[in-house]
Amino acid sequence: MVSRLTHAALCEPENPIEVSLRQSFESLQSTLTPPFSLTIPKPGDEYSHTNLAILHAILTEPHFAVTHIKHLHAVVTDGYATFIDALFKIVHFLYPKLLASVKSQVLWVAEETVRVLGIGFDAVLVTLLRQIIGGDFSDGNCWLCLKLVTLFSNQRQCLLDEAPHVLSFALYTFLRVLSDHCRVGGDENLEALRRMEINLCVMIVRLDFRLCLNIGRDFIRLLQDLLHVPEFKGIWMDIVVNPSAFNALGFVGVSQIYRTRTSSRYHLLRISPEMETQLRFLLTHVKLGHQKKHQIWFARKFLNEPERDCVIVDIVRFVCCGHHPPNEIIQSDVVPRWAFIGWLLKLCRKSYLVESVKLALFYDWLFFDERVDKIMNIEPAVLLMVHSIPNYADMTNSLLEFLLKLLDDYDLKHKDLIVEGVSSAFKLLVSKGVIPSLDVLTSSPVISPVLKGALGRLLSGVKVESSNACILARISASPKSSHICP
Amino acid sequence: MGATVLLSCLFPVPPSVLAGPDPNMKLLQDIVPSADNNIDTKFLVLDKDKTTLEGQHKVCLALVGDDTAAVHVQFWGDECDAFNPSDIIRLRNGIFSYHHGNLVLRGGKRGKLEKIGEFTMTYVETPNMSEIHWIPDPNNPKNYIQDSVISPVSRIFPPLE
Repeated sequence: MVSRLTHAALCEPENPIEVSLRQSFESLQSTLTPPFSLTIPKPGDEYSHTNLAILHAILTEPHFAVTHIKHLHAVVTDGYATFIDALFKIVHFLYPKLLASVKSQVLWVAEETVRVLGIGFDAVLVTLLRQIIGGDFSDGNCWLCLKLVTLFSNQRQCLLDEAPHVLSFALYTFLRVLSDHCRVGGDENLEALRRMEINLCVMIVRLDFRLCLNIGRDFIRLLQDLLHVPEFKGIWMDIVVNPSAFNALGFVGVSQIYRTRTSSRYHLLRISPEMETQLRFLLTHVKLGHQKKHQIWFARKFLNEPERDCVIVDIVRFVCCGHHPPNEIIQSDVVPRWAFIGWLLKLCRKSYLVESVKLALFYDWLFFDERVDKIMNIEPAVLLMVHSIPNYADMTNSLLEFLLKLLDDYDLKHKDLIVEGVSSAFKLLVSKGVIPSLDVLTSSPVISPVLKGALGRLLSGVKVESSNACILARISASPKSSHICP
Repeated sequence: MGATVLLSCLFPVPPSVLAGPDPNMKLLQDIVPSADNNIDTKFLVLDKDKTTLEGQHKVCLALVGDDTAAVHVQFWGDECDAFNPSDIIRLRNGIFSYHHGNLVLRGGKRGKLEKIGEFTMTYVETPNMSEIHWIPDPNNPKNYIQDSVISPVSRIFPPLE
């Protein structure tokens, strides 16, 4: 009986990925022990079967893993691409279902692929980072954090030379994970893990600051959640008052990072592949008015445990920056992004979480620059404010209040930059027809006079020529608005 | 060698998507009561009732749907625990017939239900094939035809407000 890779589930067929590995292993099992054949497998099916068989053997026979990997090194002729592609698929599609012993082997062999710089090793590391679940303090999740933080610490120099982008991804992931790990007390194991994560992040930031510059403004957003940790407080102080401390050529100050839009590849890091599939399905196929069951199932699967709701911040960043539906979807009756985000906001019960989610929603507004930023990243917030006016005026008021407060509170030293960012965000949203005019906000009787006054003062410098036809086709009361002219 | 990210790694296609549509698969709107175990179909579990005992065996009623219709399904034995709302199930050789007075779809003795996915399916709740009154076809009394709609939606699992 060949060992399984995943937990067997009642009434569920074996996964096709697992089947293909198992079949290769079964057919070649007798060739997987020394003495090995001296002939190199023929390119094509024979070669790929051999690779899959060895991978299966490594994952299910930990005691012989070293022998199996030597065998692999001896037969490999494609830079490990076949082997690593199969490993990638196992992690990407099956990780949550893998047996604990198999997970352990996956982490071991992933590090081996880094050592040999096999083709695609970076993709395996990235999909492993995505398996770390935000707000999950279970043993399994903390174990994965520990394994990965160890791997990245051990391989830091190698990765810096060969795949620096992966170190940026690891930094983003662990900064985000640390905000969970530093919020709750926890036992000594969690304390040890927290210490390793802090050490890794501090080492990357202090020694290779350009990796932070690669991340862009979300690096600052994550860093500011960690200012209660002395090491990060020190980093923040240096960024603000002593940028030369980082020896990063060309780095002159925080506004440079504020002005760099963060690539959506970072936001995707905090969304597991399974969650990504469900989010994209919901925002591509499920119709507005028929989304309740799907939303309930989504919440039950991903947000139900205590502390798991902190991932809402990451979901909002992903929906704003990482999921941009095409025009056909925007103009259809599919659940729009703003409505989904409105539902997520209503799920937040803790005030600090509400604040973080709103900041995630508006973050690109603060530094908006038409030349580098995307209108689709700021579209959900304005549509949520405008569409909430008829029935959920409290939502509109609280969002507008938060945005206006950010102008004064977020970073006083860069108030001019932020005022400029928010003003140009509003300006572009009107000129592109996302909202017909700013009057929907400034003249609405349900919006508090204080907010309208403040908004009016902000916008007094903003003269907007709104472009005609595409606006007429849209918004006002319709939830199906689109902002892109045909 | 180096750190080239494989394109197939960046944009992976779930394996289930690679399998083409099965020509023998029936849509729920096309199922008709019959004494034969001959229905192959795929549906999303929308709701599940409490498990009860029928003799020594566990049974459990569920509401399921696809893009064309909904229907009541009866789970039996291990199926009662194995399947939950949001599961996508494939039924082979199923039977749609009256069981203790209820018109239900089930695996029966020769059919098989398997979970093949989760979440990624849309559905309607109307018509509900179990909430239709069927009568024998006057031209071919072996077959049933639709007579009238008893209820547009399930009376056991009312839609969410």
